[in-house]
Amino acid sequence: MGFWEKAQSLDQRWIYLLLVLVIAGILFKPVGLAVEIKKETQAAYDAIDKLPASSIMWLGAEYDAASAPELMPAMMSVMRHALRKDVRIVGGAMWEQGGNMIERAWNNIKAEFPNKKYGEHFVNVGYKPGGGIFLQKMLSSVSDAVLGVDARGTQLSQLPLMGEFKTLKDAKLVFAFLAGDPGTNDWVKHVTDPNKITYVAAATSVSVPGAMVFVQSGQMTGLIAGLSGAAEYEMLIKTPGRATAGMDAQSFTHVLVLLFIILGNIGYVMQKGKKAKA
Amino acid sequence: MRNEAPIFLGLIVGLVVIISNFFRTATLTVVRSELDQWYMIALNFAMLVGFINVSRIHVDKINKKREGWQYSIALFVGVLVFVVVGFAAGSSSAPRFQWLFEATLDPMQSTMFSLLAFYIASAAYRAFRIRTREATVLLVAAAIIMLGSVPIGRMIWSFFPVARSWILSYPNTAGMRGIQVAAVLGGMATALRILLGIERGYLGGI
Repeated sequence: MGFWEKAQSLDQRWIYLLLVLVIAGILFKPVGLAVEIKKETQAAYDAIDKLPASSIMWLGAEYDAASAPELMPAMMSVMRHALRKDVRIVGGAMWEQGGNMIERAWNNIKAEFPNKKYGEHFVNVGYKPGGGIFLQKMLSSVSDAVLGVDARGTQLSQLPLMGEFKTLKDAKLVFAFLAGDPGTNDWVKHVTDPNKITYVAAATSVSVPGAMVFVQSGQMTGLIAGLSGAAEYEMLIKTPGRATAGMDAQSFTHVLVLLFIILGNIGYVMQKGKKAKA
Repeated sequence: MRNEAPIFLGLIVGLVVIISNFFRTATLTVVRSELDQWYMIALNFAMLVGFINVSRIHVDKINKKREGWQYSIALFVGVLVFVVVGFAAGSSSAPRFQWLFEATLDPMQSTMFSLLAFYIASAAYRAFRIRTREATVLLVAAAIIMLGSVPIGRMIWSFFPVARSWILSYPNTAGMRGIQVAAVLGGMATALRILLGIERGYLGGI
């Protein structure tokens, strides 16, 4: 068997091992590649940065644990940025685990903001089913849509922030974290476009092509694209975290996958040439 | 009547919802709000129906000792733990439930999704072949997007991020818009078929 024939039938476990070695190696010994800010990420940052203090922002967690490694760093950075600007946050979700994602992000960062209190500066109303219907109900009454209680079971009437946040129209900005459907289509169709509310999003890398359509049309003001977008946002708020730490590993993994494709195709062409000669 | 009644009901409710999007009278707004509430309540019951269905399949698997029946027991144990802890904790964001979620479901689900990276790497080497012109265009575009999205791409060639941005903003947007318009038109056609009773699959064999 020739070299290229052997290479074509390489046991895939060698590929897995190489991938593990590259990722682990880079994580233990980072190179420190410079992160360049894309214009969509800058636009997302600017959208929150120019919010007046005390304005209220809606945080939509439309993702689950599978997408958390990509979107949780972005969510934490966005929450940090908003709280530093004294913007108040109300969070909710159309995905079942979204409420838990919001709670996790808050638990991870609340120690950095000892003067920010749950109920006054941040409320999590959690997940409610219904997708776009849930959003439409919140346009007329948040209390009715979430049945009068937040994700912790506390009556909304006991939370000072909810005294000012009666409907979604009270939000100056909607920031959604997207991993699929329900997601942007529901937000743009039912809420942000008809009511002219600024809409910004963070999306998983596979959702970016679908989200870019809305950036192009101006219906989405800014977009944090995948883990690289989250790393850029961490640079903008000057708080590097997991996303920045993951950039070296992601960079080299992308190069490795491309090398695999190139090698695989070289082997294919060589074998094809050999068969043609024979 | 057994066949016609659900179709007629679906038509009336569907028309009310459609008309309420175009005309905002006080009566329509109230009716629409009520229907939205019923929809959200029905969705919760749909989850229960889904759980009952899954339970039937796995109970049958356990009874007949089919391959992997032990995992069916693990499924029921997992559901029971989450339900008991959830009710005891009082809410989905209570500390005890949140801890259970972050200690079990969160890392397990993230890990399962992370396996995709290995499958993609393996598929990239073993299956991605430039057999046609279209496959070549796909590969070139994928390479530009992959390298343009990460810092190393800019180090290799400063044009990669520019090319990535152009591909996403123009050809991708054009293609995605076409897909979305087609999907919406298809959705409208299907909705019309359901409202008019031509499509009856949702009635479960009636």
